[in-house]
Amino acid sequence: MTAGPPLRKIIHIDMDAFYAAVEQRDNPAYRGKPIVVGGRPDSRGVVATCSYEARKFGIRSAMASSQAYRLCPQTIFIKPRFEVYKDVSAAIRRIFSNYTELFEPLSLDEAYLDVTAVSRCRGSATLLAKEIKDKIRQQTGLTASAGVSYNKFLAKIASDLNKPDGLYLITPEQGPGFAERLPVGKFHGIGKATEKKMHELGIRTGLDLKRWPLPLLVQHFGKSGQYYYDIARGIDNRPVRNFRPSKSVGVEITYPEDLTEPNLILQQLIDLMGKALARLAAKHMTAHTLTVKIKYHDFAQITRSKTLPQAITGVEGFEAILADLLKDTEVGAKKVRLLGIALSSLHSPELLHYRQTDLFILSMPSHFPD
Amino acid sequence: MKFSINRDTLLPPLQQIVSVIEKKQTMQILSNILMVIEADTLTMTGTDLEIQIVSRLSVNGAQPGTTTLPARKFLDICRLLPPNTEIRIEQQGDMVKLATPRSRFSLSCLPAENYPEFAESQMENCFTISSGKLKKALDKTLFCMANQDVRYYLNGLLLHISNNALKLVASDGHRLAIYEDELETPTGLEARIIVPRKGVQELSRLLDDGDELLQVSFSSNHIRIEVHNAVFSAKLVDSKYPDFSKVFQQSFLDPIAIPKPLLREALTRVAILANEKFRGVTFHFAADLLRINAHNPEHEEAEEELTLDYGKGEFSISFNAQYMLDAVSNLDGDTAELTIASNLSSCFINEPGQQVYKFIVMPMRL
Repeated sequence: MTAGPPLRKIIHIDMDAFYAAVEQRDNPAYRGKPIVVGGRPDSRGVVATCSYEARKFGIRSAMASSQAYRLCPQTIFIKPRFEVYKDVSAAIRRIFSNYTELFEPLSLDEAYLDVTAVSRCRGSATLLAKEIKDKIRQQTGLTASAGVSYNKFLAKIASDLNKPDGLYLITPEQGPGFAERLPVGKFHGIGKATEKKMHELGIRTGLDLKRWPLPLLVQHFGKSGQYYYDIARGIDNRPVRNFRPSKSVGVEITYPEDLTEPNLILQQLIDLMGKALARLAAKHMTAHTLTVKIKYHDFAQITRSKTLPQAITGVEGFEAILADLLKDTEVGAKKVRLLGIALSSLHSPELLHYRQTDLFILSMPSHFPD
Repeated sequence: MKFSINRDTLLPPLQQIVSVIEKKQTMQILSNILMVIEADTLTMTGTDLEIQIVSRLSVNGAQPGTTTLPARKFLDICRLLPPNTEIRIEQQGDMVKLATPRSRFSLSCLPAENYPEFAESQMENCFTISSGKLKKALDKTLFCMANQDVRYYLNGLLLHISNNALKLVASDGHRLAIYEDELETPTGLEARIIVPRKGVQELSRLLDDGDELLQVSFSSNHIRIEVHNAVFSAKLVDSKYPDFSKVFQQSFLDPIAIPKPLLREALTRVAILANEKFRGVTFHFAADLLRINAHNPEHEEAEEELTLDYGKGEFSISFNAQYMLDAVSNLDGDTAELTIASNLSSCFINEPGQQVYKFIVMPMRL
C-alpha cells in the first residue's frame, strides 16, 4: 500500500441558470418562458444568463442579445438586478459556512467546498451535497447542481453532468476514465488558444493528452505542462482556498453609445480610476501599475499601462498620465465601446508597515486615511 | 556639405549632445543630430523636445550645407576611431560619407528641413554665475529629485534667485536638500523656477569646476545657459514648487553631533541586513550612545554602537539607510549634526554652525 495524502472530498456547487432562475422565482409571469437576463436586443448588450426554456432555442451566455432575439423573438429580455443576486449569493454562502469554513466562491453562483474533515452525514460527501442542495432550495427557492469528487477539476466536471438540479459523484476509480473521455476544451484551464494549439498537435481528448510524456508537454506549454499532464490522469492538487489574494483590481463599463470625444473619454477614465482606487482601498492594498483598457466599436481591444515606482494612492496627477497613455491609442480616430481601468502590482497590507513618511503629504490628499 | 575635423575636437561636444537624445524615439529624426555648416563653423544640435544642446566648432575645408545624421552611430564611429584622427565628412545625396586615411563609413541622413524646432520663448531674465559654483550647487542637490513621481513638480529642481542669493531645492517627498550660495553680482531678480530632472542631470554633466562665468537667462517657460561653445536650453516645469516651510515650524530636540566617518561606516554596515526594498534602519539614542540596527524578513540582524555626547532622554527613530547615507556623505566637513523634531516627525542634517547646506530626511514607520 502506498501511503499518499488522504483522499479529499470536494463538492462543486453550481446554481442552475442563476440570474434567470431568480427572475423566474420573483416574477411568476416569467416561469416556463424563454427569458434572457442581460442587455436589450436593440442594444449592444449580451446575454448574461438565460433560462432553460431559452436554451432550447440555442441561446447561450455571452451571446449578443440581438442574436438571441433572432433565434427566438418571443424571448423576454430582463435587465439584471445585481443587488438581488448578491443577496441570494450571500445566503448561499451562509449555508456553505454552516458546513465548512473551507469554501472557495468562484463567482456569485458557483463555489468549491472541501468537506474532507466534515463528519456530518456520516462523512458521506454525496449525502452532504444533497443536504446542501435541499437547504439552498428551502432558503432561496432555487435549484443548484452539485458535483462530488476527490478534486476540484473532477467535481466541476461532475456538477455539469446532470444539470439542472443534478447531483453526480465521480469516484477515485472512475476519475481517470472521465478525464480520458473529456474533450480538451472542457478541461479547466484550457482556453480557446490552448485548445487550438492542442488540436494542431492532434490532442483532442484527455486520452490523447495522456499519451504525451511530461517533458514534451513542458516543452510545448511551459509551466502549464505539468498541470495538463496531471489533469489528463485525473490528478488535480489545487487546494480549495477560502481566501484568494487579488492580483489586480479593475473596473470597466460598456457604454450605451460609442464614445468619440477624447476629453470625455479621459474624464470617464478618471472616474473609473477613482472607482478602482476605492475598491483597492477597501482591500487595504496599494498598486503600482495602472492599465487602461479600450475596446473599439469593432471589438478590437487594446491595453496600455504604466508602472510607477511609488504606490498609486489617488487620482491627483493622473490626468496627465492617462492622457499620455491615450496618445498611443486610436482614441479620437476610432469610436470606443468599452473603457476599463485596472490597478495591479498590488502590495499586501504587511508591506504597508514600512511606511515612509512624506514631507508634502499634508498638502496632498491621501487615499489612505492614516 | 563638406568639412574635416579632428576626432578629439569633435568627440566631447558630440558626447554631450548624444546624451540628450532619447534612445527610444517615436519620431525617427529625433534620434538624429542636426549638422549645419556656415562659413567655417559647424553647429550640432540634439534635442528630445524638452531639452536641447547646441554646440559650435570651427572646422577645416568647410563647404556650407545642412543635414541630420543618426546620432548614436555617428558617435560610436567617432569614439572608436584612433585618437587624433582627422575625419573628412561629406554629404552625397541622402548619404553622408565619413572618411579617415584608413576607414570609410557611409551613414544615411534625413533632410534638415524636417528637424523640429525647439521653440524657445523670449528670455526675460538674466544673471551670471561661475560654472564651478553652479555645478557644485546642482551636484549637492540633484540626487534628491523625484523620479517619475505623479507630483510632477518634484521631478525637477527648484532654482530660487533673490537678488544675489541663490538657493537650490530638490526633494522626492522622502528627503529634501537645500543648498544656498551667493552670486558674484547682484541680479535684482526674485524668481523661482523648476528645471526638469533630465535637464538638471545633463546640465551638471555639461559644466566643469572652473571659474568661467556663465550667462543664465530664463522666461516663465524656458531656461538657457551658455557654456563655452555650447548652449543648453530646457523647458521649465510648469508649476509652483510645493511649500515645505511647515517642516521648519516645529520644535526640535537639541542638535546631536556625530563624527561623520563613523556614522557613515556604521550605516553602511548595518544597511547590509536591512530590508532590501525599504532599507529601514533604526537609530536608538541613549545618554551617551547611538545604537543603529536593522533586520530583514530572513530574521538576520545587524547592530552598531557609536559613543556620543548627547546626555538627554532615550528615543528611537527609523530611516531609509540610503537617504541618511546620501545626506551624510555629501556634507563637506567631518561632523554631521542631526536635529530631530520633538515629535520625531523629521530630521535635519547639516554641519555644525553651518546653515547654507542642509538635508531633511523623513522617518519611516517600521
